[in-house]
Amino acid sequence: MNCEEYRAAIATDPSFDGGAGHLNECADCQLYRSEMQALDQKINRALAIDVPELQMPELPELSTSKSDNVTTLRKRSWAPPTWFAMAATIVVAALLGVRLIGTGIEHESLADEILAHLDGEPNALRVTDVAITDARLNTVVPADIAHMDHSAGLITYAQTCPIRGYDVPHLVIQGERGPVTILLMPEENISGPQRLSGENVNGVILPVGDGSIAIIGERDERLDRIEESVLKSVAWRT
Amino acid sequence: MHSNKAATERRQRFDRQVGVYHQDMYRYAAWLSRDKTIAEDVVQEALLRAWKSLDALRDDSSAKQWLLTIVRRENARYFERKRLETVDIDNLTASQAALLAEQPDEELDEMRRAIYELEDDYREPLVLQVLMGFSTNEIAEQMGLKQGAVLTRLHRARAKLKDQMAKS
Repeated sequence: MNCEEYRAAIATDPSFDGGAGHLNECADCQLYRSEMQALDQKINRALAIDVPELQMPELPELSTSKSDNVTTLRKRSWAPPTWFAMAATIVVAALLGVRLIGTGIEHESLADEILAHLDGEPNALRVTDVAITDARLNTVVPADIAHMDHSAGLITYAQTCPIRGYDVPHLVIQGERGPVTILLMPEENISGPQRLSGENVNGVILPVGDGSIAIIGERDERLDRIEESVLKSVAWRT
Repeated sequence: MHSNKAATERRQRFDRQVGVYHQDMYRYAAWLSRDKTIAEDVVQEALLRAWKSLDALRDDSSAKQWLLTIVRRENARYFERKRLETVDIDNLTASQAALLAEQPDEELDEMRRAIYELEDDYREPLVLQVLMGFSTNEIAEQMGLKQGAVLTRLHRARAKLKDQMAKS
């Protein structure tokens, strides 16, 4: 390690404790280190502003019935021809840019719950180029529920999450504008595609067989291609 | 009966996490927004959102990062809603100036002012590292950046502060 490398390391983190060999022989770097550590102490003091007493907001009562009744996905028989016919219809609709706005009263709460869920799991929405492993994907999307391959895009997050009382696979792929959330919901039957829109996000819930798939990205993300690839990469096994 | 017990335990868990991290939430919000009043609003909204989605926090050891991420998103929402103009340090509102309220220690005043004037891109990683104790990897995750970008910003932030303090 030379002076330049050592100083670069100290300047990004004055608590850096590597480079002892160089430090022992370089008085200039010892001085630089002391200066940066003193600077950091001042920064710390300056940042530690007084905090007013905690004012807890009025917290709404939340029903615990859903979490009490969380069940695993039921297996359901489903003939492949039906799946292929319906998936093909949806893919064609997506390719043609057909966007049906759901009348949505019956399922409005599904969209709300999905958006609320996204807000509650912000760590999922990080920008990264590190894909999850096949083993992780297979754990979150078990073979007896659905098959999903990596063709939908770079899958960077997978977690099983409760949505409307069911544990469902929550996946994130990296879109052009940022992370795109995908929720596979084999138990959520909807009559037609539903748009959903939150602050900075837009998305759609697509009916797929007896279930549905939600796809939500940044507001300016082009979802049509992602919708197409997700629909191609997912097949229910329930 | 079972529901009541679950609700009580949920509330206790929430209070425990908020009790530990409330100060961090407020300070992070204050340095993001550079405004004490906005920071209080942001923290209120963040607490509400955290309460509603507490079940998504699977591991309490991740609570700090989880809560600060919610604060960050609430702050972004606040500024998107209000479309606030850029802060002019020579023309601050009372609430903005409160963050720079004069201290008996002149050097502390100078440093606080220098941090206040840093660009958001430099100030935020510094707050996360120095005040919150995040590693550069955690900062990269929090801000959606590559680790290299975080290192560059931290380096430049300190260089700017060092220069600023040398001038004063």
